Amino acid sequence: MTPDPQAARTSLERMRVVKNVQLTEGVGLVVFDAPRIARQVRPGQFIHLRIARDAAFILRRPFSVHRVRGDLIEIVYQVLGVGTRALSLAAPGEVMDAIGPLGTGWDVPDDVTHALLVAGGLGAAPLGMLAEELSAHGVAVSVALGAPTGERLVGRELFESVARRVVLCTDDGTVGRAGFVTAVVDALLVADRPDIVCACGPEAMARTVCEKASAAGVPCRVSLERLMACGVGACLSCVVSTRTGQKRACIDGPVFWADDVVWESVDASCWRGQG
Amino acid sequence: MGVRRCIVLAWTGVSMDVDMTVEVGPLTLRSPVVTASGTFGSGREYADFVDLTRLGAVVTKGVSWDAWPGNPGPRIAETASGMLNSIGLQNPGVEAFIESDLAWLATQDVPVIVNVAGHTVAEYVAVAERLSAESSVAALELNISCPNVDEGGLAFGTTCKAAAEVTRAVRAATGLPLIVKLSPNVTDVSEIARAMEAEGADAVSLINTLLGMSIDTVTWRPRLARTVGGLSGPAIKPVALRMVWQVASRVGIPVIGMGGIMSAEDAVEFMLAGACAVAVGTANFVDPAATMKITDGLESYCRQRDIPRVADLTGAIVAQRTGER
Repeated sequence: MTPDPQAARTSLERMRVVKNVQLTEGVGLVVFDAPRIARQVRPGQFIHLRIARDAAFILRRPFSVHRVRGDLIEIVYQVLGVGTRALSLAAPGEVMDAIGPLGTGWDVPDDVTHALLVAGGLGAAPLGMLAEELSAHGVAVSVALGAPTGERLVGRELFESVARRVVLCTDDGTVGRAGFVTAVVDALLVADRPDIVCACGPEAMARTVCEKASAAGVPCRVSLERLMACGVGACLSCVVSTRTGQKRACIDGPVFWADDVVWESVDASCWRGQG
Repeated sequence: MGVRRCIVLAWTGVSMDVDMTVEVGPLTLRSPVVTASGTFGSGREYADFVDLTRLGAVVTKGVSWDAWPGNPGPRIAETASGMLNSIGLQNPGVEAFIESDLAWLATQDVPVIVNVAGHTVAEYVAVAERLSAESSVAALELNISCPNVDEGGLAFGTTCKAAAEVTRAVRAATGLPLIVKLSPNVTDVSEIARAMEAEGADAVSLINTLLGMSIDTVTWRPRLARTVGGLSGPAIKPVALRMVWQVASRVGIPVIGMGGIMSAEDAVEFMLAGACAVAVGTANFVDPAATMKITDGLESYCRQRDIPRVADLTGAIVAQRTGER
């Protein structure tokens, strides 16, 4: 199921910024001209982006690919620190390099007929490509999309264009149902009878979705986020505890089978100022 | 100075082969550029980006007798011009290391230096003995300077007595070239280095990371799960360079210099300060091909200045007229 991470050769690609716009306060969409990555990337994979040279921050930042259009790849990002702030200021024409595509993709089994995608906030980013690809392969797609407020429902148009059903949830009730996206998962598991669930979002949300899927007996894939340095499996910064030991989010993940994950209390605040 | 300037002026762009080989005690390396332990996995992870055969050596991640799970996350925090880590020497144990990582490395044409970790003197000795039975190991690097484990690690590296004890025991247990990796978290690193020389170490490598911390001002919590961790990256380069210079001028054994080397010019500085070889660490995270660029840059630095052998840079620092050397 999971491709051998050593089998796929990765390399650097120099990518030109084609477009960089603010979607809402603190959330941006950047489009890169990246023909090789665009050709190779599978849904759920990410790129490890070097945003600036000669800056006081030196580490790359991992971003999942939201969508591919020809030679162009789309990245949705949240401004969380010096790196993403610099990214938000990048002008069209600027060149950055990325390692990638990296990591396991969603790798949904071929015999799936109905998939339920559950996204919280920026967790919608890696699910965009997946929704398109599943839909193109005739898989029925349901999407539960949650965000703090209506403006932050990332990928709403994309999901609405390809999914059979999209349920929107906002914490403040500005759009769709008021409350967390996890509240609609049980009903969708019953109503749509999905044979797979794919979840991404804040760790507490993702965990709840995984537990609900498990309780319903539906296999579940989950994409997890960790602070990351190398991106190629060397530094062991991004480990995720699993039933078969410590795994690296960068090359053994970021997408895992939910039943393999040993959930820990990951403090979401660790990303503040570190993005 | 005058002579060198004349040579530079006389250089006309004719390509000259620079001899990149360096001697590190009993080891002859084809390049002075090696990898820093813990930043390069076992080399395999970088094989898509790096021609391993052009490295002086691959220095592997730290290996202990049993598997170590490492520390809880977050394990890293980014800081100004650097990063903190508290990985905690996560490794699969020496047997698993030999079966997978070392077996793969043995098929690559590059010397392998294995970084040896332990909780106790007996564990260091056991790992060193086990690795000595493997023909594909070129040398051992004794890790007595990891700040991220409770027992062993740094505890062995901060006093001459403890450092000498573990080095003496490992020296007696292995015929392989023995490099001792030193901690900067001491009052006088050259004193420890001299003790290592007295115990029969073939070389010393320095510096390991500097103890540091970072606090989230919203939650008031440390950013690292283990509160403190090791600082690396360009932020530490001046400190590392000073320590390499101090040690190189006070020991007779070779010094492998490291600490924030990002460019060929950084590597040149370490060699001028007295390093026979240089290790590249955090730079691998920034640019996975960093070791290759630094190797190329070192070569062209020497070629442009008509320096026939890269080893000629070692210790070639020009003393300040009023300074001490």
